[in-house]
Amino acid sequence: MERQEGDRSIPGPLHGVRIVEMGQLIAIPFAMKLLADMGAQVIRLESTRRLESYRSDSVYLNEVEGEFWNRGANFYEQNRNKLGITLDLGSAAGLEILRRLISVSDIFAENFTPRVIKNFGLEYSDLRQIKPDIIMVSSTGYGFDGPWANFGATGPATEGASGLAYTTGYAGGPPVMAEIPYVDYTAGEHTVVAVMAALMHRLRTGQGQFIDVSQTQAAAATIPEAMLDFSANGRSPTRIGNADPVMAPHGCYPCRGEDRWIVIAVGTDAEWAALCQVLGEGELLEDARFSTALGRHLNHEELDRKLREATASWNADKLMDALQAVGVPAGAVLDSKDLLFNDHLRDRGFYEVTQHHESTGIPPLPYASRPWKMSGTPAVPPKPAPLMGEHNDVVLRDLLGLTHEEVAELEEDGVIGYAPDDPRPVRRPSLDEQVRQGRMLRYESDFQEQVSRGFPPPSLEG
Amino acid sequence: MTSALEGVSVLDLTHCIAGPYCTRLLSGLGADVLKIERPGGERGRRMAPFFQDEPGADSSLPFAYLNVGKRSLTLNLKTQAGSEILRSLLRDTDILVENFAPRVMPSLGMSYDILREIAPHLVMVSISNFGQTGPYRDYKATDIVEYALGGLMYIFGAYDREPLKHAFNQAQFKAGTDAASAALMALYHQRMTGGREGGCGQHVDVSIQEAVASGLRDVVNNYTYTGAIRRRQPNHSGDLQRIRATSDGYLLPNPGLGSGLNWSTYAEFLGLPELDDDRFSTPSARLVNAEELGRILDEYFIQQNKYDVFYESHKKRFIFGLVQSPEEAMNDPQFAHRQFFEEVEHPEMGKVTFPGAPFTLESTPWQSGNSAPTAGQHNSQVLSDRLGLTAEDQAELRSTGVI
Repeated sequence: MERQEGDRSIPGPLHGVRIVEMGQLIAIPFAMKLLADMGAQVIRLESTRRLESYRSDSVYLNEVEGEFWNRGANFYEQNRNKLGITLDLGSAAGLEILRRLISVSDIFAENFTPRVIKNFGLEYSDLRQIKPDIIMVSSTGYGFDGPWANFGATGPATEGASGLAYTTGYAGGPPVMAEIPYVDYTAGEHTVVAVMAALMHRLRTGQGQFIDVSQTQAAAATIPEAMLDFSANGRSPTRIGNADPVMAPHGCYPCRGEDRWIVIAVGTDAEWAALCQVLGEGELLEDARFSTALGRHLNHEELDRKLREATASWNADKLMDALQAVGVPAGAVLDSKDLLFNDHLRDRGFYEVTQHHESTGIPPLPYASRPWKMSGTPAVPPKPAPLMGEHNDVVLRDLLGLTHEEVAELEEDGVIGYAPDDPRPVRRPSLDEQVRQGRMLRYESDFQEQVSRGFPPPSLEG
Repeated sequence: MTSALEGVSVLDLTHCIAGPYCTRLLSGLGADVLKIERPGGERGRRMAPFFQDEPGADSSLPFAYLNVGKRSLTLNLKTQAGSEILRSLLRDTDILVENFAPRVMPSLGMSYDILREIAPHLVMVSISNFGQTGPYRDYKATDIVEYALGGLMYIFGAYDREPLKHAFNQAQFKAGTDAASAALMALYHQRMTGGREGGCGQHVDVSIQEAVASGLRDVVNNYTYTGAIRRRQPNHSGDLQRIRATSDGYLLPNPGLGSGLNWSTYAEFLGLPELDDDRFSTPSARLVNAEELGRILDEYFIQQNKYDVFYESHKKRFIFGLVQSPEEAMNDPQFAHRQFFEEVEHPEMGKVTFPGAPFTLESTPWQSGNSAPTAGQHNSQVLSDRLGLTAEDQAELRSTGVI
């Protein structure tokens, strides 16, 4: 019986599916990583001419000397289990190799603007000449056609255009966006669904097709509460912070320590009584203003003020456990270190240790895995993201049948390469400076020890 | 044109948001989704907001959106007869999706181990707050708890205030989307190994907490790469990533200087020659002179119209963004061109405008024809067509409270 993930040497469910990825940053790379995790062979193209910013930023130990482009945190985060080749698409030879790759692949995935794709002659109508049953997926900020089609976009821009940012923020304040390119992930998640549906369709009919993911649409599809309240009731949402339209108390309350917090969400009278008991707030429980759900909602500001006083002396984890023990939904607000070492996530093996290439000097590190576990066809064991050009030889010779001489010639002509033409790293301020600016809470100089103790490399796990 | 998931049969035991969004994506892609609800209907039928603010059995707006294109069969799974009906439906079901607390399915005698005996080809997808295993397995959660324990909340919001979450139910939508992906991966494997006749099913465990924690940037890896713990960012007034108030809302005047455009071009574009100065032209100079830069930008943008600046910026290939209200989004020319919003005819509400397809599969159109079912709307159709039950059988089930 396999309730946990079983034998990871068996191929994932997508074994045999080959994907050519012309992606950048998150929206497409994240989606293709999830497919690679489940056994698809993903061949990722990159350019030595234009260095992806995830290769030049957030590098290990902030050391930007040497081959820093093989040490970028977010590059490793988004591109594990992929093969990597470099290709100059500005050259005829480079484009020809890409066409040959597409002719032996199932899926072509990209997230450039339509203008770029059209300039390269890589629209779906072009690709089906090369491979009649190809599935092409394009992920753009606002969609592949329409008046905004060629508008470049970032995660915050699509969070804004979709209506999501407008609805989010402290009461009385301006819109607030997540401090990550949030909608890139939303779009990536939807992209996986769309690609899988197209694969199912191809399996049944033998036909490929074009998938057009608008990142803004993907986000807008996830806020029906606001969209329908407007379309059916004519109401525009107001920003209400962490409050809830129905539940109260519902919010984020301070705990003991620097910048420590707990969230609590009370939906029923029983939960309210249990909360008051745990906090030792008999008076609150007696207070008639708070005795009904409606009363708690109408008086939630007063209630929040009282709760902030009551939680402030608690340890956040202990309060969470005490509240959960009596059935009150509550959660400690985990910072990055709490999250990494969280007992529950550890018990589920959520962070997976990946070994890096020796040349990078990066020790084995844990990375977030994925939101599902499959009992019969688990994910493949994690391999690190490719070094720049790492699989040039394997892909060009073994897959496309080029000779050693032909590959050497491509390198000579600068069509392929192993290092960026213009290696300019992003230099971050020192950690002390970042703490001084308030961007970081603190840093720990013994973190390497803590990480390797908490997440030993697989061979040492026994 | 055919649909992408033609011939795929889904039993939907879900309620509220995460599960129903998963099966809504599948119904949009053309799967046949049969929603199993307890008599009286699932809890999501009582989710606010309501049509014209009147709570009623068929007036929940989120429910109406999440259940388009599904059929409804009411079934009391706690009765022997109800449980048997469910089991007999499994033979021609590909995917069963549920989002009960992890202890519920086993308590109904419907753990995966039991269901696989009846239907080895079955893909069972279980969505839960924290997954089917682990010390938090039975912890309770709402969206805000998932934000806190998923690591997105700590870094979200103002530096000197409490952490914040997105409005509404993003964590649950994320998990629903992920569950649809995983369901289709498992279905792909089932079809590759023989399909409903002899193919391999499996159990898929989707955790909402992990859906949040797998979609973060520069959080855990800030620690593993440098030992730093990132907090909510100080809101430097000169930060170019910051939104600025305009005369009609908010704009995100991010110049995207990474991709080769330079600072002088930005200053020239805004018509603010005083910005083209050593005090502002480099990131570190902008940090030192953040306050003055912020004041200049704020004074400038508050007099602008966000759409005008947005369109002008893209002519120069800056990557400005803007903040739209739902109303503005519904009226913007891009969504209109894409025909994203669509009218659905609802028996109680009449014509209502819904968000439509999150993505376009060009040869297999998104299905949005049929409005969400009333509870038990398809009882007799399903019981007679799929199980061959007679009118008398059905009357019996009704009188004993099974349907």
